[in-house]
Amino acid sequence: MAYLLIVDDDEDFASAAAMTLRASGHEVDVLLETTDALRRMKARTPDLAILDVMFPESSSAGFDLAREIRGAGGPVAKVPILMLTAVNQKFPFGFAASDIDDHWMPVQDFLEKPVDIAVLCRRVEDLLAKAA
Amino acid sequence: MTDPPSHGRASYELPLAAERGPAARSDERACLPESLLLRHVMWVCSLRWIVVTILGAFGLLGLVQGGPLAWLALRPQGYWPLAAAGLLALANLAFIVHARGAARSPVTRGAHANLWGQIVADLMVLTVVIHNTGSLETYVPFAYLFHIVLACIFFPRSWSLAVTAVACGLYIACVALEEAGAIPAAGLYADASLRRLMDSLPGVRLFNVGWATLTWLVVWYLASHLSAMVQQRDHELAETNRRLVGAQQERMQHMLRTTHELKAPFSAIHANVQLLLRGYCGEVPAAARDVLGRVARRCQRLAGEIKEMLQLANLESKAQEPLPCAELDLAEVIATCIEQAGPVVAERQVAIEADLRPANAVAAEDHLRMLFGNLLANAIAYSHPGGRVRVECRLLPDGRPQVAIEDHGIGIRPEKLARVFDAYYRTDEAVRHNRESTGLGLAIVRTVAQTYGIRLRIESAPGVGTRCILTFPPMGRRLAPSRERKESDHGLPVDRGR
Repeated sequence: MAYLLIVDDDEDFASAAAMTLRASGHEVDVLLETTDALRRMKARTPDLAILDVMFPESSSAGFDLAREIRGAGGPVAKVPILMLTAVNQKFPFGFAASDIDDHWMPVQDFLEKPVDIAVLCRRVEDLLAKAA
Repeated sequence: MTDPPSHGRASYELPLAAERGPAARSDERACLPESLLLRHVMWVCSLRWIVVTILGAFGLLGLVQGGPLAWLALRPQGYWPLAAAGLLALANLAFIVHARGAARSPVTRGAHANLWGQIVADLMVLTVVIHNTGSLETYVPFAYLFHIVLACIFFPRSWSLAVTAVACGLYIACVALEEAGAIPAAGLYADASLRRLMDSLPGVRLFNVGWATLTWLVVWYLASHLSAMVQQRDHELAETNRRLVGAQQERMQHMLRTTHELKAPFSAIHANVQLLLRGYCGEVPAAARDVLGRVARRCQRLAGEIKEMLQLANLESKAQEPLPCAELDLAEVIATCIEQAGPVVAERQVAIEADLRPANAVAAEDHLRMLFGNLLANAIAYSHPGGRVRVECRLLPDGRPQVAIEDHGIGIRPEKLARVFDAYYRTDEAVRHNRESTGLGLAIVRTVAQTYGIRLRIESAPGVGTRCILTFPPMGRRLAPSRERKESDHGLPVDRGR
């Protein structure tokens, strides 16, 4: 069993994803904004963070949080991140797997919403296995 | 662009972006008057070679004793026509070299100066010709009109008036110098009695000179007035076109934002329906499961529609420039698209035959996948069950990659071929055969093809099938990959130079 943190402002989606992952045997917390996320992660470091990109506070808050996590130092900086976003995967706003790097997009993987929950569970398990 | 049927199929070739109607050209003219003027400079230079040839031929004929000039009762002209032709040819070469240099310059300047130089040189050589052929007794002085009209077309009214004044001044000076005996009067006709008669009648001479200059001024007034009207219309058209392009961009940006806003709540609905269907919230009664299944299917269709709307809006949005390009093997991209189409191929019971040979092109991989994916999806969707779709990729002898996707499905009627690339347009036959399509796939194909200058030809006949042939431009003409990094509104790398 792993401890997962979902940071997504869409409560309906986040709760559905949380319910699915809990059913897979994981402990899941949901945060609806990015402002308190880093402090919560330092208080209890998750095995995996699932981040949305666009938040009311900023259209790139998810990316900013990912960069903050990587720069935080300690065990938090090593938390695997799965980006889960409604941002279109195509240009100009979107991105592709080759965009993942330490500076621009410091995440392990991303999924585009709407997502099949079976695919979500599989990706989470893959990332947890890699981190272990 | 719809051609008559060949081999039982009508065909239509999608116009490239640069070939679109007059609005596009007006915009170009409004933005790049100097570069456009340079093209006119080259055109005038090419016309001048005709004048050089005529003068040279006239000079050579004059050297033949008892030749055609004597037969036409014209007197030998000596070497001046050959000298004038040589001078004009040298001047023309200089103008061409200057214009080519200006065209290569990153900041195109000098087209106006070049045209001015040409007109002044022409007027001076023409005055020499007029003097030698007879300033009063021939119609050669009316050749000034060519330059006056050209000046009215290319220059503002004040400039064209200056050209007219120069022409009038040179002509009056020529006649006055002849009158004063400063230059010996020459002439074209072997019989000089007409000239002598005119010399003896100062009133007639004055009337002729006055009438000629008045004619040039009237022609200048009419031509410059008409030209100003046309230029004003042109300017208005360019302005309207600019506003239309702006409005279209704004509409696309709005569509992009709206569609994206729709995507987030839709994702939540989609995820929650899956929770219910997969029993995460407990056992669902059979009737409720049916209803949920219908909701899930509509979700699936809506997801596809949103995806295509976003793709089209992104493609048509200026914000996406510059395009991130890389050299790709088209055969590999097509093979991936065929693999991704696997479930649909099985569902529709269609066989795919692929003959894919390596052919490289420079483009964004996502765009090529949209291009081939949509054409392939159409070929599969509009085939009959048990049908066959053939995909070919090869290099033409001239090195251009060519891709052909052919089906033996329902086909398209000739009169509808030109419309199938319009967004949301679907033929009645297509709607009856496949209710699931959004009508955006070929609009995406059109936008990608026009963005990359890919020639797209579609051949089709009802009941026979459809064949789409994509011919890529030569490597040198492709969009160059940019390696500049930029951030979008989301802090994402827009252009990674992939």
